[in-house]
Amino acid sequence: MIRRAQPWLGTLVEISVRAEGGLAEQAINAAFMQVALAHRLMSFHDADSDVSRINLAAPDALLSVDEHTWQVLQLAQEIGDASGGIFNIACAPRLVAWGCLPPPAAPLSFDPHLAVLCCEEGGTVRKLAPGWIDLGGIAKGYAVDLAIAALCEAGIGSACVNAGGDLRVLGSEPWPVAVRDPQAPLRTGKLLQVADSALATSAAYFTTRRHEDQQVCALLDGRSGEPLPNCASVTVQAPRCVAADALTKIVFASGNPHHPALRVWDATAFII
Amino acid sequence: MRYQPLLALSACALCAPAFATQYLTAEQAQQAIFPDATTFRPQPLALNAAQMQQVEKLAAMPARSVNWRVVGAYKGDTLLGYMVLDEVTGKFELISYAVGLNPDASVKQVEIMTYRESHGGEIRLPAWRRQFIGKSAVGGGLSIGDGIANISGATLSCTHLTDGIRRIAAVAQVMLKK
Repeated sequence: MIRRAQPWLGTLVEISVRAEGGLAEQAINAAFMQVALAHRLMSFHDADSDVSRINLAAPDALLSVDEHTWQVLQLAQEIGDASGGIFNIACAPRLVAWGCLPPPAAPLSFDPHLAVLCCEEGGTVRKLAPGWIDLGGIAKGYAVDLAIAALCEAGIGSACVNAGGDLRVLGSEPWPVAVRDPQAPLRTGKLLQVADSALATSAAYFTTRRHEDQQVCALLDGRSGEPLPNCASVTVQAPRCVAADALTKIVFASGNPHHPALRVWDATAFII
Repeated sequence: MRYQPLLALSACALCAPAFATQYLTAEQAQQAIFPDATTFRPQPLALNAAQMQQVEKLAAMPARSVNWRVVGAYKGDTLLGYMVLDEVTGKFELISYAVGLNPDASVKQVEIMTYRESHGGEIRLPAWRRQFIGKSAVGGGLSIGDGIANISGATLSCTHLTDGIRRIAAVAQVMLKK
């Protein structure tokens, strides 16, 4: 087995393959290149990313974005619709106000009912209103899917790609996965065997802190922009990691591990 | 006397990391970053006060160390770049990593060598950290966490690591740029 890890997407991305030798090394390099691509396109911090271009664009602007970015924005819209707005990529002004993200420009107020953009034909995006988007709740999952596709294409039969808790297993051979205990995050809360599917966990134990008089974290309810309570951890299993990643936020905010949106993406969830 | 084994056990449990993974040794990291290199030469750096100031200005943070572990990667006599070894500690985690640099001091690749978490404050204790020195991935010096392929949970931010890489990029600008 070869295991490698590199820092991308604001976290550690780990790629493990059950293979040895030069071809396996090359497959891992190709997979990391896909993760790096997702990072470049969808980073909130990088001024050249598609996300930054969208954030700095004026209302009515039509922007051409990379196909990958477009796919993520489209899915974010669908998951937002299916969750009644719980999943909302336009919460970034709130995260900036709490100091979780750096300000891209002069401060903006957050209106949960405001549609900031829409995806249009030909890989373009229309900016509809002033606002900032952040793909932190979905891009890691998409990057994992890209990396798995690259490993598969390189002929790897058994692998696991883990982007800071959002992971996917390639192949029918199971991989052991420890889900952190939300009460004691450095311990295992649940030990699972995962094969041929994706698993994503969301919890606030590493990002919770005080901002002014409020307890804030990087997880919030897209309908109100309010921080979510820091007590539990939500894990979603789905065929694709991009869906698992985004759906954790819906289960977290609704407290419902059987939320109807899960079925749309063939997903199941549990809360610990 | 009869209590001693128990004491030893609890002391051991205290210093056991919660999750730990060894990815690459320094040798494996230099191969991964510079697969075409034929020789690697240690070229340790020692910064003087003026150079420390330059690094601090470029990185916009304290330069921290005077001494840096640097390896030059060569193909024949041609310099391919450098690898700088470093480690950073977060609130719960200790990460040792390698930064590959091009001859123009731009960052080529970053590879994590080891990752460890700890329950208590041990992460900052030199004694706790020392127990990992010289442990190799090949020899399996760290058995804790074996069999656990992956951890799913909230994302642990790697701000400290990002800062560390920025500092090394600044050191390279000041000291290594061709």
